[in-house]
Amino acid sequence: MRAALQYLSRLSFQTKINLGLALIIVCFGLLLGAINYAVSSRAVLREALLRGEVLSVNLSARSAESILSMNFLRLTNLVTEMVDQGDRKDLVYAFIVDRHGQVMAHTFRDGFPVALLQVNQVEDHQPFGMRFLDTGRERLYDFAAPVMVGSTRLGTVRIALSHSTIKTAIDRLMWINLAATAGATLLALIGSTFFARTVTRRINALRHSAEQVVKSNLDVQISPAPDRNCWEIMNCKEKRCPAHEDRLRRCWYLAGTFCPDCSAGSFPEKLDDCRNCPVYRRNSGDEIQSLAESFDFMALTLKNHIEELRRSERNLARQKQLLNTILDVTPDLVALQDEELAYLAVNKAFCRHVGREEEEIIDGTDFDIYSDEQADRNYHEDMQILLTSRPLSKEIMTRGGKGKKWHHVVKVPVVENDRIIGLLTTARDITVVKQYQEKLIHSQKMEDLGRLAGGVAHEINTPLSIILGYSQLLLKDFPADDPVAQDIGIIEKQAQVCRKIVADLLSFSRTTEQAALPMDINDSLREVAELVEHIFRQNRIIINLHLDDRIPPISGDKERLKQVWINLYNNAADAIGDDGCISVTSKLCAHRRRLVVAVADTGGGVAEDDLDKIFEPFFTTKPVDKGTGLGLSVTFGIIKDHGGRISAISPVPSEYVDVSPACSKKPGPGTVFFVELPLEGNELPPDECIEIPKKEA
Amino acid sequence: MTPRHHLKILLSLLFLFFLAACGDQPAPVKVDMTLREEQTSGERQPVITYAYLPQFSHTVSFERHHRLVQYLSETTGLNIQQIFPETFHEHMLMVAQGKIDISYANPFVYALTAESSGAKVFAKIVEPSGEAAFGGLIIVRADNPDIRTLADCRGKRWIAVDQFSAGGYLFGLGHFIDNGIQPEDFAEIVFAPGPGGKQESVILGVYAGRYDVGTVREGALELLEDKIDLGQIKILARTPRYPGWSFAARAGLAEEVIRDVKEAMFALDISNPEHRLILESAAMRAILPASPEDLDAVRDLVRRAGLE
Repeated sequence: MRAALQYLSRLSFQTKINLGLALIIVCFGLLLGAINYAVSSRAVLREALLRGEVLSVNLSARSAESILSMNFLRLTNLVTEMVDQGDRKDLVYAFIVDRHGQVMAHTFRDGFPVALLQVNQVEDHQPFGMRFLDTGRERLYDFAAPVMVGSTRLGTVRIALSHSTIKTAIDRLMWINLAATAGATLLALIGSTFFARTVTRRINALRHSAEQVVKSNLDVQISPAPDRNCWEIMNCKEKRCPAHEDRLRRCWYLAGTFCPDCSAGSFPEKLDDCRNCPVYRRNSGDEIQSLAESFDFMALTLKNHIEELRRSERNLARQKQLLNTILDVTPDLVALQDEELAYLAVNKAFCRHVGREEEEIIDGTDFDIYSDEQADRNYHEDMQILLTSRPLSKEIMTRGGKGKKWHHVVKVPVVENDRIIGLLTTARDITVVKQYQEKLIHSQKMEDLGRLAGGVAHEINTPLSIILGYSQLLLKDFPADDPVAQDIGIIEKQAQVCRKIVADLLSFSRTTEQAALPMDINDSLREVAELVEHIFRQNRIIINLHLDDRIPPISGDKERLKQVWINLYNNAADAIGDDGCISVTSKLCAHRRRLVVAVADTGGGVAEDDLDKIFEPFFTTKPVDKGTGLGLSVTFGIIKDHGGRISAISPVPSEYVDVSPACSKKPGPGTVFFVELPLEGNELPPDECIEIPKKEA
Repeated sequence: MTPRHHLKILLSLLFLFFLAACGDQPAPVKVDMTLREEQTSGERQPVITYAYLPQFSHTVSFERHHRLVQYLSETTGLNIQQIFPETFHEHMLMVAQGKIDISYANPFVYALTAESSGAKVFAKIVEPSGEAAFGGLIIVRADNPDIRTLADCRGKRWIAVDQFSAGGYLFGLGHFIDNGIQPEDFAEIVFAPGPGGKQESVILGVYAGRYDVGTVREGALELLEDKIDLGQIKILARTPRYPGWSFAARAGLAEEVIRDVKEAMFALDISNPEHRLILESAAMRAILPASPEDLDAVRDLVRRAGLE
């Protein structure tokens, strides 16, 4: 059953209509045929029986006289004429018996069947009697009618009608009925097929058009073109009318038509006014045509809408592309979160910052990106903004693989229709700004320190000179082995130390007083190396010079730069202690607008945290009494006065590690100091020097 | 309701209609038609035949006399059977041949033939009018404008019952002759055709307009009063009355039979309800003894009419 229903549901609409109509027609045909057959067969049978009744009664009446007159010839003629009359084949027999049961006349040619006398007895008062007989060869309707004169019975007449003859008539009727039903059914089927084809052809056109619409082909036209258009019927010359010369749409689908009777509305509101219009009455069709016209109108409207949408889509896509480009190009981190703090959009800088792809971030939250601690912090902060609607602006410092980073973070709630729908976060990398800020602060501090130190040194220098002078005078008053002389010697020595410190302080603070003369950097490096080489060798420290001879002379204070080299060499030697190498390299930078002097040692190196502080005055890692912490500060000041820059890296990058055999013993992490000096002018050029390696991230 | 239910209903309806088409045929009765017999002659018993001159149809004759015949049979113990000659002539012939033992006939027939064949009148009837005589009627259509008097009958077509009919021909013929109208004055004289039913045929012939004048016996019109509108029939004249119908025995019939029959006949009494039914059926009031002389008036009429 289910399979049959499925099969039926797969059939085409036309086939279904044909099948449905055929089923109805055949069913009704059979039904009517059956009813007709039942009624007509009964009528035929009833007529046959009525005829038998009439014949028997008639024979009874006709035979009375002959029975009375014992006219056997006439009786025999009566029965034989009745049976043999014309084409009457349904009368099987007829006979007459007298009141004593004696057969007076009969139609049997080979003797009278006596058994017949015993069946179908009829009483005097009955007009007739009928029995259905089965002779073995055929079935008969036997009629008996008494022959009465007044109340006296003269005898009985009997006739028999053949059941098979009646049945043949009924069967013939049935076949005629069947043929008529079949013919009518066939005609109805032909008519229904024509009807179904008429309907389904137009529905198929609609379906085909719907498929075309599904395939995005909206240039469909199903409804037939009107034989006369509205401007022809109305003799309209109004070319501004939207319906004028529009052969695709009927005027009642168009808004703002110019006909005097047209309402201002659009379809379908204006249709009420159109019903009495001659254009509508002439061109409107049945429901399917209305459907087709509506479909055409819908397709056309849809096409216009789609074109409009496409234009909008293109516009939106262009704007989106533009926005994406702007957001992706900007170095700031930009992220938009919804009210549940799930990420709706992020830019590429944000993705790079968190080290994930955009697809991984979208729809996730901070808990999917950051550590639980960081995410929890962000969550509470973000929720606070969403609840209070107050934007947040802050600077944060993060430490990562690339070192310390500073960001300026701005979080703004996104409001739409007086309702907060999300959170826009932007974060700008201000590390460089911060570095410059720190350097500025540092420079300011150094300047203030220099000014302070200069003032202090200037004030201390005079009493110190007096102490030194008097101590030297006193030394002369005592013999050298006198304990007092030894004490005074100690005073004189410490005063000398103080004087040295004061001299350093003065040189640190004296920023502008220098003699700018052409000088050879390599020569000053060699001179200083030769000067200290002898002393260093006592501690088995070797100085290796790798000097670039292409370096042109520069303008500088030779003595003060020597002081720089002495400080750097001493610093390196102090860091090495015993057994090590000091590698001194001079190079021209790529653009030949600056030179670099690198002093690398094989000492214990400098801690990461201390690297930024080593140029601060009085900062030292040496034990008490071993250093003043002013050497590198003075060096910093001298280099700065020359328009240069000094920096340090620890441990030593591989390209600056001295590979000479003498340096292979006990190599430490080491420290390398880079001194950059401009070849011309008093300021470093803006380009970076690629010869100076960056600090490792 | 699911499609399955619709299908079931449809099939049930179809089944019912086909069932209705089967009809209500009764169960047939088995009859063995192979046992055949030729007709055998019935058992013959000595029979006294009784015949009524066929002035009416056989059934009317039977209805009128079968009670009388039955009464005579039962009373006399004789096997009396009514037989039905087809015509007046046949009746007369059968009387002459001795095939009718007891003949009930009109005086004209008796006067013509019975006596010559040896038959002998032994009883006469009293008419329902109470007389032992009866007459004839000359009838025309009531709307026939051409016949107002008996004289108007000249040149017309006359239908009579039979050439041997008393009331239906002889009495009328005598009445026409007595009024100066001879048989040859008529355009045509026709006798009613066929066996029996001749009185009715005459009335119907006039009623249908096929004949202008008809002659029947008294009381014949009443036979058709429930079949035609008797208002359309006008009795133009009534003939003089003559001796009525009489019973005659054939020559050679045993005297004791005649005697027993006569006794039974004369014993009929109109006051007896059973006898009254018998007598009224036979259109009589009583049966009286009669002798041949009673019919002299008729014999005279026959002579006058030239019908000897």
